[in-house]
Amino acid sequence: MDDLLADFIAETREMLEASGGEIVAWEADPDDRTRIDAIFRFVHTVKGNCGFFDFPRLARLSHAAEDALADCRAGRREPDQRLVTAVLAIIDRIAQMIDAIEAGEDFPEGGDEALIDAVNGPGEATADAAPGAADAGADPLLHAPASALLERADDFISPAVRRADAAGQRTIRLPVELLDRVMSGVSDMVLARNDLAHRLRQAGNQPTIDGPFERLTAILSDVRDAITRMRMQRIETLLSVLPRLVRDLSADLGKQVMVDCDGGDVELDREMIETIRDPLTHLIRNAIDHGIEPPSARLAGGKREIGLIAIAARQSGNTIGIVISDDGRGLDEERIAAKAIANGLISAAERAAMSRDKILNLIFEPGLSTAETVSNVSGRGVGLDVVRQNLEKVGGSIKVSSQPGEGTHFTMQIPLTLSIIAGLTVEVGGQRFAIPQGYVEEIVQATAGALDFTRMGETALVTFRGNRIPCLMLDEVLGLEHPDITARDFTLVLLRLASGDLFALAVDHIHSHGDLVVKPLAPAVMKSGLYAGSTLLDDGQPVLLLDVTNIAAHHDLVSDGRARVLQPPEEDTAAATAAAARAMLFTDFAGRRSAVRLELVQRIETTPTAAIDRSGARARVVIDGLILPLVGLPDAPLDRDKLRLLRLSDGTCELLHAVREVKDAILLTEALTPVPEDPLVEALTLVDGEPVALIDAHELFARHGKPPEAAPGMRPRCTLPDSEWARTILAPLVISAGYEVVPAGMARPGDLEIMFEDMFEVAEALGRPPAGPVIRLRDHPDDSQGGSATIYRYDREALFAALTAVRHARVAGGPRA
Amino acid sequence: MSELLVIIQIAGRRCALGAHDVKSVIELGSITPVPRTPDFVAGITALRSQSLTVIDCRSALGFDTAQWPTDDRAAVVACGGHSYALMVDGIEDITTAAGVPGQIPGGFGPEWSRIATGMIETMTGPALLIDLAALIAGPESPRGDIEVAA
Repeated sequence: MDDLLADFIAETREMLEASGGEIVAWEADPDDRTRIDAIFRFVHTVKGNCGFFDFPRLARLSHAAEDALADCRAGRREPDQRLVTAVLAIIDRIAQMIDAIEAGEDFPEGGDEALIDAVNGPGEATADAAPGAADAGADPLLHAPASALLERADDFISPAVRRADAAGQRTIRLPVELLDRVMSGVSDMVLARNDLAHRLRQAGNQPTIDGPFERLTAILSDVRDAITRMRMQRIETLLSVLPRLVRDLSADLGKQVMVDCDGGDVELDREMIETIRDPLTHLIRNAIDHGIEPPSARLAGGKREIGLIAIAARQSGNTIGIVISDDGRGLDEERIAAKAIANGLISAAERAAMSRDKILNLIFEPGLSTAETVSNVSGRGVGLDVVRQNLEKVGGSIKVSSQPGEGTHFTMQIPLTLSIIAGLTVEVGGQRFAIPQGYVEEIVQATAGALDFTRMGETALVTFRGNRIPCLMLDEVLGLEHPDITARDFTLVLLRLASGDLFALAVDHIHSHGDLVVKPLAPAVMKSGLYAGSTLLDDGQPVLLLDVTNIAAHHDLVSDGRARVLQPPEEDTAAATAAAARAMLFTDFAGRRSAVRLELVQRIETTPTAAIDRSGARARVVIDGLILPLVGLPDAPLDRDKLRLLRLSDGTCELLHAVREVKDAILLTEALTPVPEDPLVEALTLVDGEPVALIDAHELFARHGKPPEAAPGMRPRCTLPDSEWARTILAPLVISAGYEVVPAGMARPGDLEIMFEDMFEVAEALGRPPAGPVIRLRDHPDDSQGGSATIYRYDREALFAALTAVRHARVAGGPRA
Repeated sequence: MSELLVIIQIAGRRCALGAHDVKSVIELGSITPVPRTPDFVAGITALRSQSLTVIDCRSALGFDTAQWPTDDRAAVVACGGHSYALMVDGIEDITTAAGVPGQIPGGFGPEWSRIATGMIETMTGPALLIDLAALIAGPESPRGDIEVAA
């Protein structure tokens, strides 16, 4: 109601301003018919509007003025100065009342009657009174009270207050074009800011610039919000008129229709609302005229007498989807097809090959109206082809689906062009693309095996949280070069469409997410149906925004009431996984097809050959900063730069297995035949009819496994004698035995201490023997002291044994505080 | 008739664009290719904060691109509310028209007739006046909307 009132006030004010000139002109020439008409229209509108709002005083005033002016228009009364003055006094009064209404104050009582009498009463006397006398008599009489009233009004509402209130509510009308220019200017500012931010990051921290730049960013985002809001309007304004429209139409057609609107709080660009107003109205007309059956037919068909039209608006990402559905008779496939053939739109042969969906969507082709009779409601030459054209003009689309006897759904998709949306940048095939954040449900990074990647015919499926979800390879969708999907790590972007359907999009990398300024694309590019717009990244590189809905639709991933996600049959999969273990199939460097149980595979690593060290008896490789054992290398030198490795783990130990090629994750369904002669092979089995050697993990880890190094803090600590020899020669040996060497000053009680015999003796003599375990060293190979407690300092074996013994004693003694 | 014209070379032929259609001439930087679009859409590129659709005029006419090398300068034009960068063999000069576009006996050949308004005499010799909209529409006029919509 408040909105309506504000509208009323704004409208009245606007008319007052516009008619100001008319009133002046009328005063100069009371006989000017066009002026009378203009003023008549004004008071008439005010009268009509006030009846709506229950402003009886305003209504009475405008009614009186309207009557007087109507008499003039009909020639029953000659307009004269007296009448002009009286009407002007009323108009002034209306203006004051409007101010009072806007300020929410009561307008002082009284004074209205005098004005009304002035318009009516003296007018009847004009016939006998001479114009001059009327002037002389009436002017002082009428003008005095009018101006007195004005003054009185001003006393009650001080001018300052009134002006301030009026200014607070003031609205102006602007051409949308101007808004567009401001909007695109702000968009450009955002881009310039991003560019600047990029350069500032490159230049490093500069406190003197960073502060003001932060402020600029904050201001800009404020301005951007305001501008965006400036253009946005709730779709409610569009939907709120529909119940009335439906009521009138259904009454005209003798049908009973209820309308249900949902999603009125979705905001849409003002201009976009104007663009879809006509298409929406048209579709509703159609639904009532052609879709909903007459009550009797509905009852006969077992439906409720009252038809239902549901309109739902949903925003997802940078599109708004509006679904208009009715529960009427549905579209007649045969009739549409017949008409299309008759019009030469399709041939009979083509028709036979077309699906119901495609035929139904022919109704958007020019020259196809199936209505047999042209009623006054629809079928006025504005067909659905125009609806589609209008929507396509703004980059939107429309689709129809229908079940005979159950109803029809029209789905409009309208883009929010020239808007700023949150988006995710992904990379595939070396090129970057953006995805509207609104669609993104989740991002998953995993191996093909972990997601149970399978191909059903041409369609790929992944299993995620127990659901089988269709998976599109973005590189395939875009027709880019792509490597074998099973041989690489996935990054999946799970996308949820407006219809609720979920699908996965496989990409190479995720880059970043942020606000993207979406710019429209040229028609030649739009035609591909893959892109919704373009946007510039921080570094000024243009990227394409993917049209997720359309891509999904092209791949038939959008369901209309179809089951949302394919649930894998629970018991079947459970049984299958229980019966068959899974394994990773690969070819090793000997060319043998091998497999390793999937549970062991941590990851598939790709590593440069330079990271491999083959100098020792066993090859090692550096992965993630760890030196890990590597098996499966060929004897010959490697001829490639990069190597694929399976990272295997038994829970504590890790090792890597070099492979020539990773094939796939497989189910071990066939019988396993043990191979006793090769300890490294657990069994042979068949996969697709070919033998595959299943690697014996137990043997593999027993031979090559290396527990990961304990973290530095967890290792036993040891202090060494303070000498060059100890630091350079002894320390490496102690460290390789698993100790952490600490300076003498940092030693904690209980740490191992290695000291020379003479030092030990001194300490003992002073009565301060070391508190923890001690290894005593002597300088001579011969045990001159005769005791066995010392170790010759180059006796590696004995030293190692002693170090190990101390460590084991420590472990056995339990962790120390 | 003193309309200003920008003389360009497309596939070895001398062509003219109305100077008021040409907003600027830019050095083509990196072009982001647009997968699954017709060949004549070379990609998109950025001009300040604007993105331009780069049209390869040689393919837009239906000629083999290998035969004619292109300049790294492109003419920026606006058509139907969108901005395009036209990849051409070269941008020659700005000149004044010395007549109205006219037809010649025998026509210009099927590829050229589609995009040509006519031959126009200029101060620096005759040139083929290009119909921008037709050029940008590409070699195959849109048909088969049914398939797209269905």
